[in-house]
Formats: sequence, C-alpha cells, structure tokens
Amino acid sequence: MYEEENIEPEFLKQPGKNPFRTPDNYFDSIEDRVMGTIEFESKKNTASKSNKIFRLLKPVLGLAASFALVYILAYYPIKYFSPNNLVKSEITDSASQMDEYSLNLSLIDENSLISAIFNDETDTLSEIKPDELLAYLSTEMTDLEIYTEIQN
Amino acid sequence: MTDDQQILESLKDPSTRELAFRHLVTKYKERLYWHIRKIVMNHDDADDVLQNTLIKIWNGIETFRAESSIFTWSYRIATNESITFLNQRKRRMMPGLNDVNEYLLENLESDTYFDGDEWQLLLQKAIATLPDKQRLVFNMKYFDEIKYEEMSEILETSVGALKASYHHAVKKVEEYVKTHEPGIGS
Repeated sequence: MYEEENIEPEFLKQPGKNPFRTPDNYFDSIEDRVMGTIEFESKKNTASKSNKIFRLLKPVLGLAASFALVYILAYYPIKYFSPNNLVKSEITDSASQMDEYSLNLSLIDENSLISAIFNDETDTLSEIKPDELLAYLSTEMTDLEIYTEIQN
Repeated sequence: MTDDQQILESLKDPSTRELAFRHLVTKYKERLYWHIRKIVMNHDDADDVLQNTLIKIWNGIETFRAESSIFTWSYRIATNESITFLNQRKRRMMPGLNDVNEYLLENLESDTYFDGDEWQLLLQKAIATLPDKQRLVFNMKYFDEIKYEEMSEILETSVGALKASYHHAVKKVEEYVKTHEPGIGS
C-alpha cells in the first residue's frame, strides 16, 4: 500500500543531497573533546558522591552538634555550681587531707610516736585547761587528728 | 580495530576501554553527526547532541547486551537524544512557540552552516513541519537510504508503520512544496 515507487513525486526520486556543512576540521577533534568531557564528568561524579555522603550525614551531624552544644551549655554550669558539687568538693578536700596525714604517719615509726605522745606529758597536761579538755572530748576527733593537733 | 565485535570486546575490558571507545567514535562519528544534524538542523545543537550521545554510549556500554548491532544501538541513542534535546530546548528557550517545528524553522534560518540552494531550503522547511516520527523516517529513508528493516530496529517500530509514516511524510512534503513554491517541486 505504501510502496514508495507508487507515491513518490518526481522530485523525491533522486537521492537526497545533504545541504548542511560543518566548520572546517570539525570532525578531527571529536574524540579528544568527548574524552575530555567524560573525564570531567567522571571527576564531577566522584566529587558529587562525597558531597552526597556529606549531604546525607548533614542532618545527623547537625543534630549531634546541637546535642553537644546543649550538653556543654547545660552540663558544666550544673556541674560546677550545684550544691551537691560544693559538698563533693569539700569531701574531696578532706580526703586529700587524710591522704596527707596517712603519709606523715607512715614516715613515723612506733617508738617515735609513743615518745612523741608521752614526752613532756606532765608539761602538756599541766598546760591543758579544763575548757580545752572538754572541747577536745566534744570534737570526737580521731587519734590521728589528735596527734596532728598536738604536733602543730 | 574496525570490526564491531572486536571493538565491543575491547570496550568491555577496562584496560582497553578508552582506546576502543576512541575507535568507535572515529568509525561512527560522521554518520551519527549527520543523523543528528538532520533532526535538529543547526550545527551548534547537533554538536551538543553528538557529545551527549557519545557520553551516553560510553556510560551505557557496560549494560549493552548486544541484542542489536552497536551501530543500531548508537543510532537509537542519537535519535532519542535529538528528540529529547528539541523538546527541552523548546520548553526552555522558546515558550511562545506552538511546537518543535517552529523552533526547527528558526534553527534552520539561523544556521550559518547551510549550503543548500533555494530548493533545498524549501525542502528542509517542509521537513521541519513534519511530526517527529515522520521527520525521522523521511530523513532516514530519503537522505540516509536506510532500509526499513534496519530503521525498524533503530526506531523500534514495525516496518508497516514505518512505511505508513514515510507515505504520510512524502504527501505532506509534496503539499508544502507545491503550496510555497509551485514551480520548484513539479
């Protein structure tokens, strides 16, 4: 039905002539140009892949940074200015004091300790006033603390 | 390296891929360019589309299953790229135009690389008024002398439908020529 011999007008029976042309030497550089474009696209894709990873992680990183900021802004003031922390500091101070006493005690042998307690016992006792004695008894000090007090 | 099968095997091997692709481009660049040029009509557009086509071929070579020849496959990519390009260009740059055909007429008139005479210009204008499919079939049959069977593979259309398209295209071209220049076409 559509056989071209039957329908083609006269002017179409001759082979078609290409009326277009290209700039001079256009075809010479196509290989280099296309390889250059492919290389560029490849580099761009590699870069966009890493950007894509960053883009995907961006909300998570933002959230993590926000949490870190809130932690820093809220935790440290609470830590350093809360009453509990002040008590904790005092406890820490007395503990370090105890450590110091223990160190002093370890440097003193038993005989030195006894002689230190009983030397000038009379003089010491005579110097003690009843008020001071009562004060001593009411402080509930440990032996170590009493010894330290005497030494000082 | 001129045999398509040899080129294809080298393309599948990463170590010889680039060299094989260069051979492929060298072998088919002119045929692809002229096919594209007859669809988009303007050299600058044809150059853009040829670049896009070759990049698509490079990117798709790993998935090419050799169900058709590498040339048929490349020709199909060039055809699709040309039609896509025209539709995109028309949407982007010429929103006032009614269809692709008006863009083609503008393209044809602005092309500095047109060497045809008055009759050839008239014929190209007539071709520019055809719908996409008829324009493709007319160009492939009339200028490239491609057989319907090969055209059928490239355009993925039955031979009967292609013959019908060509028949309608010829009628429209003839009518356009008679209307615009009664003395030339007779």
